Amino acid sequence: MESGIFFESYRQDLTLRRTPAQKIRLALVLAFVLVFPFFADNYYLTLANQIGIAAIGAIGLNILTGFTGQISLGQGGFMAVGAYTAGLLATRWGLPILVTIPLACLTTAAVGAVFGIPSLRLKGLYLAIATLAAQEIILWVVTHWEAVTGGTDALVVPPATLFGLKLGGRGADFRWYWVILAFAIFTTLFAANLFRSRVGRALVAIRDHDIAAEVMGVNLFRYKLLAFATSSFFVGLAGALTAHYRTIVTWERFTIETSISYLAMIIIGGLGSVSGSIYGAAFITLLPAVLNNLGRAFRDVIPGIAGLIPQIQLGVFGGVIILFLIKEPEGIAKLWKDVKDYFRLWPFSY
Amino acid sequence: MRKILLLSFVLWAALALAGCPAPQPASPDQGAQAPAQEAMAGEPIKIGAIFDLTGPTSDVGTPYAEGIQGYVQWLNEKGGVSGRPIELLFQDYGYKVDVAEQLYSQFVNEGIVAFQGWGTGDTEALRGRIAADEIPFMSASYSAVLGNPEEAPYNFLVGTTYSDQMLIALRWALEDWAAKGNAGAPKVAVLHHDSPFGRSPVPDGEAFAQANGMAFTAIAMPRGATDLTPELTQAREFGANYIVIQNVSSPAALLLKDRQRLGMDDVQVICLNWCADEILVNLAEGAAEGVVGTLPFAPPTEDVPGLQAPRDFLAAQGQDLNEIGLHYGQGWWTMAVMVEGGIQRTLEAGMELTGPNIKASLEGLQGFDTGGVTAPISYSEEDHRGNRSLRIFQVQDGQWKAITDYIDAE
Repeated sequence: MESGIFFESYRQDLTLRRTPAQKIRLALVLAFVLVFPFFADNYYLTLANQIGIAAIGAIGLNILTGFTGQISLGQGGFMAVGAYTAGLLATRWGLPILVTIPLACLTTAAVGAVFGIPSLRLKGLYLAIATLAAQEIILWVVTHWEAVTGGTDALVVPPATLFGLKLGGRGADFRWYWVILAFAIFTTLFAANLFRSRVGRALVAIRDHDIAAEVMGVNLFRYKLLAFATSSFFVGLAGALTAHYRTIVTWERFTIETSISYLAMIIIGGLGSVSGSIYGAAFITLLPAVLNNLGRAFRDVIPGIAGLIPQIQLGVFGGVIILFLIKEPEGIAKLWKDVKDYFRLWPFSY
Repeated sequence: MRKILLLSFVLWAALALAGCPAPQPASPDQGAQAPAQEAMAGEPIKIGAIFDLTGPTSDVGTPYAEGIQGYVQWLNEKGGVSGRPIELLFQDYGYKVDVAEQLYSQFVNEGIVAFQGWGTGDTEALRGRIAADEIPFMSASYSAVLGNPEEAPYNFLVGTTYSDQMLIALRWALEDWAAKGNAGAPKVAVLHHDSPFGRSPVPDGEAFAQANGMAFTAIAMPRGATDLTPELTQAREFGANYIVIQNVSSPAALLLKDRQRLGMDDVQVICLNWCADEILVNLAEGAAEGVVGTLPFAPPTEDVPGLQAPRDFLAAQGQDLNEIGLHYGQGWWTMAVMVEGGIQRTLEAGMELTGPNIKASLEGLQGFDTGGVTAPISYSEEDHRGNRSLRIFQVQDGQWKAITDYIDAE
């Protein structure tokens, strides 16, 4: 009978997977994601790929907002930098994705660090407005720098190849599933390990109290910019993957609405939680799909409701989000933890 | 409390599973091959469609969607296509590109042979996918690039492209300028939505203006503006005699009201199709009087034979086409071209109902008659623009009235 989880050494405290149950769950999840594409059709693969890309972007944003406490409304803009960099490198110079994607990530990291400079003076709502400016400036540049980005026209990206294998064409969703999965696993592992490291702890210290962190010897200038750069690196990765997966880049995909929807992902999933970012990404991507399917199912069942379904869907979408925020402000990650705790101590939970 | 939350979570998950069709074991290519099923008499023909009923363009998206659905219902009541009914798989997507992609792949999986999109955002985002999946695609986005099969092999346009509308507007402006007894060429300012949609006709318009000695300027209308005085002032300082608006109705109506307030009544306004509708007249109140529009689809106030079927169909349901407006006929006839011009001709030729075959049928379409709603529709292997001409309309006593015969863009 367990009464809790206790560690007897620092080594135990630092491990990523602490209990046998965690290891079993991880194995089950891994088995599922490896088997899933062979049984899923294109629709489910599209959803899975959208979740994968959203999860990468959400982890990136969570590094900045959830772990370092620097709120950002510039997510859409940073994704646009990644998408346009990757798209342009592939279109103009025909570079392969193994070159375009890392370059896009690094470019976004640099742009993110530049727009992170105001964070040294600004906090909270003020920083939100400063990053909102970043969003607007980036989109303005993207739509008006016609010589480079082609202005408001769509940028058509040639279908990618990887190790001589064509990723585009029919079955693109299946092939891209593996690419996106690999990047998503890399991002998850990186982020999970980041917060066991010196740098990660410094970032968390800044979030908890920046002055105290500085007194302890955390170099605010360095670490805040590092947080912006690291976060933007992964956000750029999400953007670059979108560009190559969808083979078309338009600015309309990266508006302020995108920024807000990513903030919704990490708030609903759980601020300061890597797994929460993934839950949130899945939730925000699947909720409209579920509502659409419910809408289609009920449309023919209840007469006269067809015209109201879209409005009901919007209401339910908002309602579910509000419900989650009220019932569990710490997000799905906390909800899941509560479930696990409940069953760990069951039936003698008190 | 915790239990309630757990319960609601489980309920949500259960609903999620119940709502989704069960995934069938399949090869990744399965969805794309679904259209190649054996054609059987009476078996429904599936066409996918996404509508904007709740998003930023829902004011025009709703009547357009009703037109598409109305046509399908009307056709099925008549017995369908070669004895087979049309099954329309549709869903609102609220102008969200991600949702459009989800719905598109879902409908492709369910075996659609053609797809009706809506706006610039989803049409651009799906351009590459529909070419890979070989799904003929029509939408209400009339960017000229979509009419070029080299760029967009499976996109087909029913409405006159924005570029051609611009050329027709400028041609009319030249004639109107001369007819009013003026010498030389007029000055033209284009006020456009700051987006791919808005800027799409600007380069072609500029080239035409330069070739004809017209001074030309393009001014972006900021999104969400509540006052367009700065843009109008810019146009006045430029000395514009004609203002061409490429935007949707509500900002265009705002512009018309501001123009009236600034006393710029001597400047003739020309609206391209997305602001030339009844919504503009209603929103601008008196300020729309005398405004000219390039309407690829005849409004219900025009007595054309092609609008009789939708008029009667709606009347049987106690509705009035004049109240719903011209976008109903636009949706109706876009669907009609896809069904009668593509699917019906494929079946009549005894070919299997696949994307490439429907594309080939559409590319053989010559002079398809829409009963005067649009200029006749023709496609070829090199050109997917349905037509290049339209009539100019003018708001007279609060109604759009045709003031010219068909003007060709060339």
